[in-house]
Amino acid sequence: MHLTGLDFLLWAVSFAAQVALLFVLCFRRRASAYPFFTTYISANVVRTIVLYLVLHFGPRAAYFYTYWSLAILDVLLQLCVVYEISSRIFRPLGSWAKDVRGSFLCFIGISIAMAAALTWLADPHTRFWMQVLIIRGNLFSAVLMSELFVTMITLSVTVGLPWKAHIAKIAQGLGVWSVMDFLIETGHSYFGLSQKTGVYHHLSQMRIAVYIACVAYWIVTLWRDAPAPRELSGQMYRELFALQGLVGSQLQSLRSRRRS
Amino acid sequence: MSPRALYFLVAALLMLVCLASAAVYYCLRGRRSSQGTWESLLKRLTFVDRDAIAVIALDVIDESGQQRRDDNSAIMGAPEIWKLIGGWDGMEALEANCTVLIDLAFFVQQWYPEKALVVAEQLRLNAREIQWHVERLKGAAKSGHLESSILMNAQRAAVTYFLMTRHVLELYESRNLAMLADLQKAL
Repeated sequence: MHLTGLDFLLWAVSFAAQVALLFVLCFRRRASAYPFFTTYISANVVRTIVLYLVLHFGPRAAYFYTYWSLAILDVLLQLCVVYEISSRIFRPLGSWAKDVRGSFLCFIGISIAMAAALTWLADPHTRFWMQVLIIRGNLFSAVLMSELFVTMITLSVTVGLPWKAHIAKIAQGLGVWSVMDFLIETGHSYFGLSQKTGVYHHLSQMRIAVYIACVAYWIVTLWRDAPAPRELSGQMYRELFALQGLVGSQLQSLRSRRRS
Repeated sequence: MSPRALYFLVAALLMLVCLASAAVYYCLRGRRSSQGTWESLLKRLTFVDRDAIAVIALDVIDESGQQRRDDNSAIMGAPEIWKLIGGWDGMEALEANCTVLIDLAFFVQQWYPEKALVVAEQLRLNAREIQWHVERLKGAAKSGHLESSILMNAQRAAVTYFLMTRHVLELYESRNLAMLADLQKAL
């Protein structure tokens, strides 16, 4: 695998950005609030170091197996982040909202089926079977993640459940990343590796650049504090007592209407 | 280009366009709900005859919201309920108001999240229930079984709306007097 100076630059910037994000998560005490997201970012930092070391000091085959193992871990952690986000949105009182459970599970099933169908349809040109496996695996995870994020957005707006401050920022970043990743993996699957490797390479660079932009977004938004909730003023408390009489008379009116 | 590669490209791009469009549309819709002012939300309310809704609802529940079990309960017939509720226009007004009421609860929840969460969730579930009943009625109308579906769904929708508007009034009662006065007029 031939890597250019730009590749190393993107790799280094991506690594530095993820370390900075990890620092923000720990220093601003977001790590305990979003454990799966913190684990996902930590795993990405470790993944970058491990892949760099294996590429430079390990045998060629080891890179493939390491890359593939860590890619599976990456997808599993992304699914955990999806769970973390959805549990914050769809469990407003601590348990899953009863009108959401069925629809969400149904959408998950449809998303997996559609991602599998599109992955099956992809027929990338490659030289080795391992490359087909990587391209199809990446495509499947990109399609699935983008479908899940759009499902969460659609469902939350439809049923009227709001997104709270920081979880919304995490979801927005991951949502944009997954949709862009879907687009890039479509390009990877279409152009393949056998002839136009240049296109594949440029798309991979674009993928890292998009990810760096998302990490930068998380650094800024997770550093900032969430808007503080307002306190009820003394006057509003006084008005509350005055109001009780008004509502009481309304109820009385309802009762008399029923009796008549 | 092989036919399979072409099918893949078309399918992937179609899916991408659908996903991106849905994400943008629902993000904008969500932002509109959260950024609305009190006045703009009130303007979206459609007139519903609350007295008629109360009559329909109190046919099967008492003032505390519990189901009535006495001999005089559940005596209204389907034509009477349908007339009182205002037919299709009335049902659609109920459905539209449910959406607005969720946004109203969302408005309070946004500024006073610690105190409004439970009531807002109750409202949201009620609104979803009404939407479900209206959808069932529409389905029954299409299949020619509207009459038998009215007692089951239209009255249930009226009961839910009646209880829900009371939840809203209780919610605003504990927040702001000026807002409540506006709301009582609108509902």
